[in-house]
This record gives sequence, C-alpha cells and structure tokens, in this order.
Amino acid sequence: MAETVARALGRAGNPGRSGHALSIRSARDLFVARERLAELFGARDSSRFVFTGNATEALNQAIKGILRPGDHAVTTSVEHNSVMRPLRRMEEAGVTVTVVPAGPDGAVDAKAVAAAIRRRTRLVAVVHASNVTGAIQPARQILRAARKAGAYLLLDAAQTAGSVPLSLSDLPVDLLAAPGHKGLLGPQGTGFLYVREGVPVVPLIEGGTGSRSESDRQPDFFPDALESGTPNSVGIAGLGVSLAWLLRKGIGAVRRKERELLEELVEGMGRIGNVTVYGPRDPSRRASVISFLVDGMDPAEVGRRLEKEFGVLVRSGLHCSPDSHRTIGTFPEGTVRVSPGPFTTGKEIARFLAALRKIAASRR
Amino acid sequence: MGRTAPPEVVLIFRGTHQVMSAEKNLKRAGVPMRLIPVPRRLTSDCGLAIRISHPDRDLARKVLSRARIIPRSVHILLDQEEYEEVPF
Repeated sequence: MAETVARALGRAGNPGRSGHALSIRSARDLFVARERLAELFGARDSSRFVFTGNATEALNQAIKGILRPGDHAVTTSVEHNSVMRPLRRMEEAGVTVTVVPAGPDGAVDAKAVAAAIRRRTRLVAVVHASNVTGAIQPARQILRAARKAGAYLLLDAAQTAGSVPLSLSDLPVDLLAAPGHKGLLGPQGTGFLYVREGVPVVPLIEGGTGSRSESDRQPDFFPDALESGTPNSVGIAGLGVSLAWLLRKGIGAVRRKERELLEELVEGMGRIGNVTVYGPRDPSRRASVISFLVDGMDPAEVGRRLEKEFGVLVRSGLHCSPDSHRTIGTFPEGTVRVSPGPFTTGKEIARFLAALRKIAASRR
Repeated sequence: MGRTAPPEVVLIFRGTHQVMSAEKNLKRAGVPMRLIPVPRRLTSDCGLAIRISHPDRDLARKVLSRARIIPRSVHILLDQEEYEEVPF
C-alpha cells in the first residue's frame, strides 16, 4: 500500500480534469477503488460511494446534508464527537436532537431508539460499533424502525468497515460513513460516504468537478454531486490496493482472526484481578476494540508505561466520545483502549498481557 | 457520395466516473474503444469521452444500456471539424 502511494505521488494527475495520460491514470485509480468499495460492501452502483478525507467529513456531509430546520434527529449516548458535534451545530440551526442512552456495556436497545422516533424524525444516526466499548449496535432492528417511520439511517462504520462483515444488499442503510485508514487498511486522509440512491443529500462543499464545466451549478449526479475540488487521488490509489487485499482475504476471515485475538485478550485480562474490562462480554457483540482500566491507576500512566517499558502502543483518555464514558462510568478519566488488527499475532497478545500483568501488579 | 472509412462515433458522458464505468463495460464485452479528451466543438467540458467505430454502435448501445450507463450525447464525426449529434 505504501509503495503504491509513493508511486502515485510521482505521477499524480488531476482526475477528470484532462484527457492526458496522468489525469486518466488518477481517474482510473479513483474508479478502481470505488468499484472495490462497492464489491466489499455489496452495493450494485459504485458511483454512490463518495470519497472524503476521513469519516468525520463523511459524517458531517451526511448530517448537514440531510437535516433542515424543524427536523428531528435521533442518536445514541455512545456516539463519537464526529456525530455529536455536527448534530449539536444543527441544533443551533433549529433541529431537535434526542440522545438515546445506551446500557452500561455501551450497547443500545433498538426498542429505545424506535421509541424515540417521532413524526418529524428525518435522521437516525448510530455508530455501528462504539469506538470506546466496541459494542456492536443492533443496526438491523434500528434500520427497520427508521424505515417504518420514513426516517433515514446513517450508520457510522468507523470501527467496523473492513473488520466486521457489512453488506448493503443485506443491510440497506441510507448512509454509510467510514474512514480509509482503520479497518480498510488504507492511508490517512481517505474515507467515504455511501449514499443510497434516492436519498437527498445537499452538498457540504461545491466547486470544480471536471464535469458540466459550462454550468455554474453543482452537478446533481454521483459521485460528482458530493465530490468537488482536487481529490486525494494519491491516498485513494493506496486505499485501492488495501481494498484488493481485503477482497482477497475476505472480511469474514479478518473478523474470525480478530475475534480469536479478542477472546484471548478478554480472557487474559479477566484473569488479572485489578483490571476492569468494559463492553459486551460476548465477543460476537464486540468489534475489535477493548477499553479497560487498571483499578486506581490513571489510564494515561498505563498507556505511558505500556509504551516506554514494553513497546506496546495504545490510546488512553476519552477517545473523542465523552458521552460514551459517561454511559459506562469512566468520565472524565477515560480508559485505555487496545485494538487488535488483522496483522496482530497471538504472540503479540501474549506479550501485551504479560506487560499488563506487570503494570497491574505494581499497583497492588 | 461514398465513404472510404466507416465514421467514428464519440460518446459523451455526464462525468469521469461514468466514462470509466462505460470503458470497463465496453472492454469486458470486447467492444474496441479509445478514451479521448472531449472534442472542444462538442462541449466545453475538460474531461474524457469514448470513441468507438460506427459498426460497433449497436453492440455498444446494448452493453451500456444493460449497465445503465447512458451517454449524455452521441456524435458522429463527419470530417475533421464537423460532428452530427445522433440519438443513443
């Protein structure tokens, strides 16, 4: 992937702006990556995948492109700030927002989401799996409730895209947002928003698309409607390569591997007396994210020692999701988060557990 | 007046993604084609178009219709300068 990005840097033409070889090459990189996204997520029409700089941009585009003054939106108490902050901004613009509280394991009850939907509800925005607890939300039941009420469902797949199987033909959400650099294994500065055909999204950004240049109006067809300005074709070329790897490997296989590692982690951490693990116990209800605390120890200190003494890099703190921590009772200190990926080995998990045992023992 | 070579047909699409998608489908169906810069006489767009030869027009229409990729316009090259717009 990194080699592809380096090569693409040396030949980056502006896609769709010209008929010369370098422009065509970049246009093809974008097209190939889009086609692979459609294949990976079981969508028929790849033009509905709009490239963004990250999941945050995709979520902002979806939320601000759908909601209008007077609308009502439903979300949960375990959303990332990339959902909550745009929603709070829309509140200032005359949108009302209902936040459905999740349970102590970070999972939300679909019935509670359904009960929060009103006649004026236009958008239900839900994270597919919490970035703090890893809890996978009941997206299917939530989609059913949203459809019944005529509301659109935005699924934030930041923690699941590429690591938990998700097919749009099976779970036809209206809007799906994800970053390229997490489970999709691409470079930073890439992401996408999928918009189901017929879902009316007003562009967040307007400008040059290379198409309809004679008009000063934004094109209404996809992906051009929501993709203005020079794209990150260099990063997307890299994303195309990682998507090809995922298609070959299969997300089911990635999920199986990560689940095994999760089970080893949860079991191993459970055996350390003074470590508290958050999130669902059942690994099938958890994405590849585990939040934990060493009792009585600052999560930042645990993170620092894991890196300095053992070379294990983790994230500690609030993970940009304060409400998640209020939900599970870890606000304002936050937690330490460990997230095995498809290239993590059982040996590395064992090394991590040994390191954590030593750090936890120093506290007793 | 007879022609020495079959005329060429230029397909103009809405955007670059649609051009790429048409290219993929035409190539897969074995329709000979070339990507060309959009001729300035046809639109002011700065993007790409697809050129095929006239005898392949029917097959191209069938392939693209099946893939639901409808050109924005279709033009026959009469000579170096002149195009005639024709229905898809």
